Amino acid sequence: MRALEVCREKVTSVLSGRSSIDIPIDKAAYVVLDTELTGLDIKKDSIISIGAVKMHGRSIDLGSSFYRLVNPSAELRHESIVIHGITPSELAEKPPIGEVISELIDFCGGDVIVGHFAAIDLGFIGREVRALLNMRLQNRVLDTQRIHEWIKMNNGSFSRHYAVRSEDQSLFALAREYHVPVSEGHNALSDAFITAQVFQRLLSILPGLGLFTLKDLLRIGKP
Amino acid sequence: MIIEDVIGFLKKAQPFQSLDEITLRNLATNVSMELHPRGSLILQQDGPPSDYLRIIKKGSVKVFMKTGDGDEIIIDYRGEGESFGMLSLVGGDKSRANVIATEDTICYLLKKDFIIKLLDTNAAFTEFFLKSYFNKFIDKTYVEMRNKSVLFSGGDKVLFTTMLSELISRDVVTAPQDATIKEVAEVMSRSSISSLVLVDPEGNVPVGIVTDRDLRDKVVAKARNVNDPISTIMSVSLIKADAHDYCFEALLKMIRYNIHHLLVVDRGKLAGVVTNHDLMMLQGISPLSISREIEIQKSIEGLIPASKKINKIIDLLVKEGAKASNVTRVITEINDRLVRRMLEITEMKLGPPPVPYCWIAFGSEGRSEQTFRTDQDNAIIYDDPKTDEEREKAKSYFLNFALDMKDALIKCGFPPCPANYMASNPRWCQPLSVWKDYFAKWIEHPTPEAVLFSLIFFDFRPISGNAILAHKLRSYLGHILKGQNIFLASMAGALLKNRPPLGFFGTFVLQKKGEHKDELNIKENGIGIIVGAARLFALEKGVASTSTLERLRDLKDKHPVLTELGEELEQVFEFLMSLRLHHQFDQISRGIEPDNYINPDDLGALERNTLKESFKLLSRIYDSISEEYKPGMVGQL
Repeated sequence: MRALEVCREKVTSVLSGRSSIDIPIDKAAYVVLDTELTGLDIKKDSIISIGAVKMHGRSIDLGSSFYRLVNPSAELRHESIVIHGITPSELAEKPPIGEVISELIDFCGGDVIVGHFAAIDLGFIGREVRALLNMRLQNRVLDTQRIHEWIKMNNGSFSRHYAVRSEDQSLFALAREYHVPVSEGHNALSDAFITAQVFQRLLSILPGLGLFTLKDLLRIGKP
Repeated sequence: MIIEDVIGFLKKAQPFQSLDEITLRNLATNVSMELHPRGSLILQQDGPPSDYLRIIKKGSVKVFMKTGDGDEIIIDYRGEGESFGMLSLVGGDKSRANVIATEDTICYLLKKDFIIKLLDTNAAFTEFFLKSYFNKFIDKTYVEMRNKSVLFSGGDKVLFTTMLSELISRDVVTAPQDATIKEVAEVMSRSSISSLVLVDPEGNVPVGIVTDRDLRDKVVAKARNVNDPISTIMSVSLIKADAHDYCFEALLKMIRYNIHHLLVVDRGKLAGVVTNHDLMMLQGISPLSISREIEIQKSIEGLIPASKKINKIIDLLVKEGAKASNVTRVITEINDRLVRRMLEITEMKLGPPPVPYCWIAFGSEGRSEQTFRTDQDNAIIYDDPKTDEEREKAKSYFLNFALDMKDALIKCGFPPCPANYMASNPRWCQPLSVWKDYFAKWIEHPTPEAVLFSLIFFDFRPISGNAILAHKLRSYLGHILKGQNIFLASMAGALLKNRPPLGFFGTFVLQKKGEHKDELNIKENGIGIIVGAARLFALEKGVASTSTLERLRDLKDKHPVLTELGEELEQVFEFLMSLRLHHQFDQISRGIEPDNYINPDDLGALERNTLKESFKLLSRIYDSISEEYKPGMVGQL
């Protein structure tokens, strides 16, 4: 299939197209993403929706966002319907996962992918990329939870101030900790936007702790 | 949904609210968002220009400039919904000022191309920025000239409706381009000018300009032959405007190239020169030009037109987004000048006074907190006459004088005081010794009337005449107040009559019925509490200043409550004053008599919350006063 070929080429070109890891943190391009899943079991569950926003350095491009609902192959589990407020009939009209994945690949280009507990999102996305193209995503990946944890360990004043706080490292706990406003309704896009704002705050702390390049960031923030 | 939030935000932010839905959406989809941690320098003076207009989504910034000798001139504080970076964006050469985040600040960034396009196509948009930025910036050159005094000029529609051709001075001194350096220098010296335009004698087309500086740097310093043609040293890059351009375009050019003079050409030929000063004067309602107009008047009738312009100044200052304290300062300055000129004119009419006197104002005028025209609140203190004859003479002279002043003030739009607190009332036109007796009696016997008088008169401030008389009275007051705890408790009691309108659960307490149902009185239950607290503490601690903000600052190290809360209280005062100013401004522009009643539902969410927070602080002040000034408690802290 011609479309799949194009998509494969895109994935391959990420390797040559990604920027040097020696560039400053502020000069790198990021895609901050979040997925909503029917559950956490990678064998049985599937992606319901993907949301993502682009960042250039510490600046969030509000106009460049990505949000797709997916027509699921797995049965929607009852619990997630309650959580996400998305009904099976809504999803049935949506494009199948393959189409969404190839659009996502397009959207991400060679940017660094950022997520909160990114291993989970990337696990599901990776599975779909493999199923579609029989390939692996080549983008570099960062995990905001790991960066946060590192900052906590390495920033004396931070750990003094925040040590007593709960160990809850969910996205919303971090949002609270970093004073990121959280509105009521949630979907993959709004959560990606919250993740991006948390990431923005994390990035503003790092230079003070001696981290300046993408290389430094990857060292501490891999999922 | 992210975009919807941006659109929703822009719809509330000036001047974007004037844009149509499609433009807004287009703008919003190109917005990026940045976080600037507290203390970070966002733009640096003389640093690279900004490629974005930044609108503050949350947080606040300070805009300031450093002068050549290292002084810091604060241009502005900007908060949520306000923007910065416009000048450097338009100028494109460098940043005009430093911008620093005073708290963690989130900004929406709008791309330069979009803003330039909007400036070119949307008149309302351009006008807004012209007013809020460009004038402020132009003022700064005057601020530097006038030793940092605060001076505002107003931008007005006139800038958009007047062509340069109507404004330019036509007698520009020129010289032919083939003149020698010596000849040109002679012309400049003869005409006492610091720059001169060189023209092609055939068609009067400007070809270059030479300035004092060129003569110094390129001729004297280089020992160049003064018989060389002037064309060897002139600057050929002329910045010109067309006579058919509107004035604001000239203003934009001046800002863009950082110059104060602009050549104006008409069909290629030199037509004249326009300066930024001309543009300010054109607006005719700058405080500076009103002050001048006041100074030159010879009669009370002559002062009437100038006094009518004062409300226009308020209008402009409010539209420009000036802080309330700056508005009141400018208005006080102009009103003072107006009254001084009236006094001079009246003295000329009645002959010199038999003994020295001082004209004092009290109430809001005494506190330098006037905004829209308020009632007359004034009195005369005159030097104690030495003989009975002098006494009679002084009595009749000053009473006549005060009656003339009362009429003059009425003519210029200051209505008489309904309670007759005016110098024309013989009771308030007295020698210093009588004033001292008044004050001493009020303090000794704080009857309700005495307390009322004290609240009003103790804010007195000398306006004109022999200020020493007022200072003597002030220091006498300080002296006799010492240890007068019962009096201070009575003053506190008067203050505690009005509670901050916040209920037990932190909700607004509103009027339950009547004309102002669901509204609250921001003067009585807000501003008045701060004014009263500042006055009370100032009297207790012997602080002589009368303006509320000055009192709060002067008391910072003297009164424990203000050491803790003084700064917050200053901000709250500023906020409430500006809320009232905007409210009254809005009423006046709708032809309604201004009042002090505000409906919290008419406010934006942000203002409403700030108002609530403000009242919370006032409740703390209120509680600490009621605790501290219980009879017998004064002076315990």
